[in-house]
Amino acid sequence: MECTQARNLLSEHQDRTLDTAGAEALAAHLRGCGECAGADVSLLAVRELLRGLPPDPAPPELLSRVLAALEAEDRNARPGSTDGGAGATRSFLSRFRVPFEAAAAVLLIASVYWYQQASTPAVRPPPGISSGVSSGISSEAGKVSPSRPPPAKKDAAKSSPPGIRLADGKPRAAKEAAPSLPMPRTWTAESLPSVPVSLASTDSERIVPVAPPRPLPALSYGRDLVVEVNPENREGAEERTAEAALRLGGIVERIERENASTGKGAAGAVRVVLPEAAAAGFLDELRRIGTVPPEVLPAAFDIPRGPRPGTAAYTVRIRLR
Amino acid sequence: MDLERPAGKGRPVDLLVEGFRKGTPGSFEAIVRAHQDRVYSFCARMLSDREDALDAAQEVFLSAWRNLSEFRGEAALSTWLLRIAANRCLNRIRRRKSLSEREAPWPEPSGGAEEGIIFQPAGGEADRPDRLAETCEMREILTEALSHLDPGSRWMVLLSDVEGFSYEEIASLAEVPVGTVKSRLHRARMAMRRLLSPVA
Repeated sequence: MECTQARNLLSEHQDRTLDTAGAEALAAHLRGCGECAGADVSLLAVRELLRGLPPDPAPPELLSRVLAALEAEDRNARPGSTDGGAGATRSFLSRFRVPFEAAAAVLLIASVYWYQQASTPAVRPPPGISSGVSSGISSEAGKVSPSRPPPAKKDAAKSSPPGIRLADGKPRAAKEAAPSLPMPRTWTAESLPSVPVSLASTDSERIVPVAPPRPLPALSYGRDLVVEVNPENREGAEERTAEAALRLGGIVERIERENASTGKGAAGAVRVVLPEAAAAGFLDELRRIGTVPPEVLPAAFDIPRGPRPGTAAYTVRIRLR
Repeated sequence: MDLERPAGKGRPVDLLVEGFRKGTPGSFEAIVRAHQDRVYSFCARMLSDREDALDAAQEVFLSAWRNLSEFRGEAALSTWLLRIAANRCLNRIRRRKSLSEREAPWPEPSGGAEEGIIFQPAGGEADRPDRLAETCEMREILTEALSHLDPGSRWMVLLSDVEGFSYEEIASLAEVPVGTVKSRLHRARMAMRRLLSPVA
């Protein structure tokens, strides 16, 4: 037996997994070769050293960090969590989280509505002024301001040059007609913002610009994953996926659903971008939402790159099992 | 702390896991306390960076918390945790390497280990690894030597020789044949031998 061959068998020799003939041949070689015998001894010593290597004590902050993270996670935990310990630490206020959030949402909507109601008359130009703005707009088909003034009166339109309002303060009559109103800013058709409009109100001064639907652009990054969910868990699967991504510090780029008329079995997709460190945790979350077929699930070490360095991206496609 | 007790004729039952499943308050904290040293040590030796190791160990326990209800007890809880730790650490090493090439290339474990020697023990008897073990720096020396192995071999050495995993367990975790595990482990051990004992 040559030295190279003998040294390749040393680990197996020490594990006693060599067959009898191999063990005898190696033993014979070791008896006659001091160098290989020394290698055998030192290899055994290295293994013994490793076996006796004591664990490094964990820093004290590890436990506190884990407990803090668990508490944060527990706040978002679903009902029926299996951890009694974590559940017991739930704060008293968290019981009122949903009512608080609902009340906050109502207040927000009410305040926006009130603001719109209160602010609309203030920005409306006086009747004598609005005609020119209106005619200016009419000459710019398809370009209007979101805060469009009310429709013009014919006589007022005749008395004012179209497109220019109070540029030099000359239309005194208009100002006198509405002395209590604040001086409006100078508007020209050219200075108005250009916003494509696909839906415009015809019976009020407010115009709602609506962006035309755009097709979902093809992904140049990330990976598709299919999650199969049971029919009883189908509802809200997209939302649970999005919540998981948000909880892990990611963002939700898009949530898609097939037409609702197709019922609970409709397919859906959620596109998320996560910090790379959260990718594995996200896959764990997906397994809680449904079944990820093993042939689809990437290897644990395989993180699909996101749009930026340090990010991972997934398009999670929800299917009915 | 005796964490396991026999469950009749069957496998030992981890009392802490049982407590966690029953919803006993503080049971998961007890699990963390019981296993944090092993998990953190493994992560620190794999990653050679304290903060990275802390983050990885935290991820391991969070993942365990989420999935402990699915833990079947086919292996010891520590084995299960170390499996998670191995995955997390390898993820981090891959990410670290893909993001930047700051780190020096790993020396080939099967050869050229002399280039990676990081200490020069005195000659003669002191060159023997068992003598080195007598020094107070033994732990640091071993950790340093381990850090010179390539990550793909390092985690196998840690799991096999430090944590006592069987070849079959490592093969199942690495999704490679047992023979591949044996040969990679042997090359890594020989590299460790060269790193620790230049004259051997």
